[in-house]
Amino acid sequence: MDNIVVSINSLVKKYDNFLAVNELSFKINKGEIYGLLGPNGAGKTTTLECIEGIKHPDAGEIEIAGYDPQKDKKFVREMLGVQLQSSSLPQKILVDEAVKLFCTWHKTGYRSDLVSDFGLEDLLKKQYGNLSTGQQRRLHLALALIHNPEVIILDEPTAGLDAPGRAQLHKQIRELKKRGVTVLLATHDMAEAECLCDRISIIIRGKNAVSGTPSEVIKAGRIKTRIAIRTANGCINKDCIINNAEYLKSDDFYSFWECSNIAIGIESLIHKVKQNNDRLIDLKIEPPSLEESFLELVNNGENK
Amino acid sequence: MKSFITLFKIQLKLEIREKGILLNYYVVPLLFYLVVGAVFAGINPEMKSHLAAIMIIFGITMGGILGIPIPIVTMKEQGVFRAFSVNGISKGIAILAHTLSAFIHILIVSLVIYFTSPIIFKSDIPENIFAFFIVLLLLIFTSASIGTLIGLVAKGQSSSIMLSQIIFLPSLLLSGIMFPSSMLPSLLIKISQILPATQAMKAFLGLAYNHQAVSNGVSSMIILFLIGIFAFFANIILLNQNKTL
Repeated sequence: MDNIVVSINSLVKKYDNFLAVNELSFKINKGEIYGLLGPNGAGKTTTLECIEGIKHPDAGEIEIAGYDPQKDKKFVREMLGVQLQSSSLPQKILVDEAVKLFCTWHKTGYRSDLVSDFGLEDLLKKQYGNLSTGQQRRLHLALALIHNPEVIILDEPTAGLDAPGRAQLHKQIRELKKRGVTVLLATHDMAEAECLCDRISIIIRGKNAVSGTPSEVIKAGRIKTRIAIRTANGCINKDCIINNAEYLKSDDFYSFWECSNIAIGIESLIHKVKQNNDRLIDLKIEPPSLEESFLELVNNGENK
Repeated sequence: MKSFITLFKIQLKLEIREKGILLNYYVVPLLFYLVVGAVFAGINPEMKSHLAAIMIIFGITMGGILGIPIPIVTMKEQGVFRAFSVNGISKGIAILAHTLSAFIHILIVSLVIYFTSPIIFKSDIPENIFAFFIVLLLLIFTSASIGTLIGLVAKGQSSSIMLSQIIFLPSLLLSGIMFPSSMLPSLLIKISQILPATQAMKAFLGLAYNHQAVSNGVSSMIILFLIGIFAFFANIILLNQNKTL
């Protein structure tokens, strides 16, 4: 398919006897934000490093727009922009020098557009070591985009950032998508993946445990939607039998239920309220989150 | 080439901004030169004649063996090579820029010592200036290659310092720069022959100062060159293995 920009097929990478990536496969379409999720040590960074050509895979195939990162390093480097988690610039380098250096190295003119897009104008004379974590991340992202890559790889881009910093970086990642850049994002922040990614793969012990859109992955799990209901007389309690809903717990005001079919569950609960001549005060619906599905998968994976 | 020149210029600036590096390249060698030079000039007139060579050997050995590995290990630990590598600046190129800039700093200190020692300490000007500078450049090359090798193989700062000291301290004590090698026991004299500083001392004396009684210098220069070439190729092999990224 012409639309596929990144294709990973049965990737295997071992460190001595440890199998870091085990027959991993996924494909990323042009302009997509694709999330690679997994607990620490799942093999996300190793996968990214194989894609970047930093590490040699032991088996399997990697193609970036038809190019092999090991054989066609030059082409792949032109295609890829990379922001690594465990990377840094020299502590004493000025932001301006870093931008100049990478622009010269990529044979482009000075990218003042990127400097302003990423809010680096006031930081140009600051040393890298004196930047905040958020400023460093913004600089790395700007540097990764200097050569206008078609694909950008982001490894834990928001790790260690405060809420405004995260929000700003999320906005910038969405901007990249709008410009047609394909984004491969490795993260263990589920909320980030849920709000940013078009599709995701959850990797457990180097294997692809599940993949799809965030909502498909959530549906694939066994976590059900929860309903919290509050009535005037508290008629909904643990003694009630509700069609398609299971009682979970109660507090001073609410009774909590779990439903596999939310429409039937709500209908049954409201019917019960009417049946008891009670009055509905509040009803809250809490769908399962990606984090819960992820935790379920991780726990299942660890118990295997 | 333009890209490399930009990297090299930035590297030179980075080292000037880094106090620790300045200490190894400039401050300690020049302080040592002034203090020990004054002592030597006072107590040992024989050493005073070739004081420039002694102090230059100290400065180069310190800059190369102690100064060069630290930034390499730091760059390795902080992931600078990784950030460079994914943007097309290979580890080899980054290290070459660092080593070349160290070469410049070490050369500057050597020149300062060379030109000031006849004025400050009334030391002799070498009889063969050309040979003096050939030995000087060869010693910088060898020390820089060894320093780079230490930086590449060291797992962290502490092991880098330890490896550097294993070469630096014997160089200081056994090479003949602090006191004549002839005063050492024969076993230590033999051991000292593998040190670049020892060979450099003999080459300076034999070729630049014409102290033929001590050494004819040519064989020492060949050994010095071979040590440097060995370290240089070891660096290339390590970099090609790409395991230390």
